[in-house]
Amino acid sequence: MKLNLNNTFTIAKYTAKEILKSKILISTLIIGLALFVLTFVAYSFSYGDPARIAIDFGLGMLSLSSVGIATFIGVSLLFDEIEQRTIYQIISRPVGRNTFLLGKTFGLISVLVINILILSFVSVALYLFLDGEMNNLIVWSIIFTVVEAIMVLVIVSFFSLLTSKVLSVLLTISLYIVGHAIGGVKLLTFVKDRPFLEYIIDGYQFLLPGFYKLNIKDFVLYKKSLPTEYLFSSLSYGILYSLGVVCLSIFIFNKKDLN
Amino acid sequence: MLNLQNVTKKFTGDLFTQDFVAVNDLSFNLKTESVTGFLGANGAGKTTTLKMIMDFIRPSSGDIVFDSILGTNQMEIFRNIGFLPERPYFYPNLTGREFCHYLGKVSGMNTGEIKRNIDKWAPIFKIEFALDRTIKNYSKGMLQRVGFLVTLLHDPKLIILDEPLSGLDPIGRKELKSVIKDINNEGKTVFFSSHIVSDVEEVCSDVIFIKNGSLFYEGSVDKIIRENSKNDFTITAFDSNDLKHIFEVNLNEKDKKISSLMNEGFSIYSIEEEKPTLEEIVYEVKSK
Ligand SMILES: Nc1ncnc2c1ncn2[C@@H]1O[C@H](COP(=O)(O)OP(=O)(O)OP(=O)(O)O)[C@@H](O)[C@H]1O
Ligand SMILES: [Mg+2]
Repeated sequence: MKLNLNNTFTIAKYTAKEILKSKILISTLIIGLALFVLTFVAYSFSYGDPARIAIDFGLGMLSLSSVGIATFIGVSLLFDEIEQRTIYQIISRPVGRNTFLLGKTFGLISVLVINILILSFVSVALYLFLDGEMNNLIVWSIIFTVVEAIMVLVIVSFFSLLTSKVLSVLLTISLYIVGHAIGGVKLLTFVKDRPFLEYIIDGYQFLLPGFYKLNIKDFVLYKKSLPTEYLFSSLSYGILYSLGVVCLSIFIFNKKDLN
Repeated sequence: MLNLQNVTKKFTGDLFTQDFVAVNDLSFNLKTESVTGFLGANGAGKTTTLKMIMDFIRPSSGDIVFDSILGTNQMEIFRNIGFLPERPYFYPNLTGREFCHYLGKVSGMNTGEIKRNIDKWAPIFKIEFALDRTIKNYSKGMLQRVGFLVTLLHDPKLIILDEPLSGLDPIGRKELKSVIKDINNEGKTVFFSSHIVSDVEEVCSDVIFIKNGSLFYEGSVDKIIRENSKNDFTITAFDSNDLKHIFEVNLNEKDKKISSLMNEGFSIYSIEEEKPTLEEIVYEVKSK
């Protein structure tokens, strides 16, 4: 696989520039503001510990909006380039398709990270304002949100190489929901009593994304700590899974007619 | 410079559409340092051919071979090609200048070279005034002009243009045609598709003409015109009363006619060969 790191960097840089100059950052700020207001509203209508509600709500919304942004920009990553033929401008240069795809992906990931950091900042600031205590797991939870969003981004752009935008988004959302639910399903006694169901679920986990591994909100909330190995294994899972999907995308992208 | 060998492109249909052969067993050789026009009606397969040359799509069969002056591997070869797509579209939120830097960088240029070449070409394409605006506010002609700028920015040896003159006003077309001649004089090979035959006749030394995806004619413009001319001449002469007469003769009768006219006391004013324009030839072929 031929790769030109300089070009990958240039493509990433201008991809990020192009997106940051569009309206997407503004919409993130609006989401941030909405997050802030909603958290405040949730807080005023409930009795429990205000800081806990703030972080519960904040992290939940953070994860959802990050996944939303990732889906939104990820589905256009390659699809729009091909559809609008801007890709011709780049790959008619001495830029291999591998370099192009990686550069685009890194560019979008950097935009995604900036967005998530802004939103995290809002959530955590509000939490601290409501006398919450800072906690390692909160930082981990934000890191996992980033990883989860990256997984969603590469998955949706992978699908967009094979099918339409709408279908790609629907497939990704389904995987996201199932990928979160599957962790709980495995713990059900109904499943535990039926080994073949367990096999099916293991098979699923082998191929399809186990998003539940990146969901540590309950632990953050109830202040339970988590073993470091678990955190690192989830982190590497997310990163390796994303790399795997990117490799698959490169494979398909190389074969594709760019019409 | 570039050699197509029995290239075929078949678009495989799905459940609802049939397979379609857009380019059929096409072979031609693009002459180094020529300006070659790529002619064909709408849907003849010009864009499909150019996409295969640029490796955007892969031929179903056949080979595309580049001259070794361009390089020995695809990256070197593409470093030496400037390609302008049909109806080019650019990143709308970048400025023209940012876009030039983007493409210059990925073409392996450094910032100094990029700046120097922007300064060289922007005035020629009359686009300097707009380079710091975002591209989404550009008019169609401005897009085309930035397109030319980035196509020539990295000083390519082979320049491939898909319908470069569409979207330009008459002055813009004239300017571009003279740029094409100029860069050709600097030793660059230009290959451009068009349906506007008179443009091709004006700037091209050679022409490759395809019809329904197959080669119809390949060769020099002069030759196709010579081959299709009927060897008719028009003789204009004045008689002793200064009245103008026009005679049409073919090649064989020309000299005899002239001497007999002179014997009769005519004064020969002009002898012109009736050349068909490339356009007439092409239309004749198209309607066949
Ligand atoms: N992806 C595709 N799938 C099916 N058919 C296609 C595809 N792309 C092009 N074609 C068909 O191939 C033929 C040639 O198209 P092409 O764009 O190469 O023509 P062209 O000579 O460039 O025409 P124009 O002068 O209008 O630009 C057309 O009939 C077109 O419909
Ligand atoms: Mg075309």
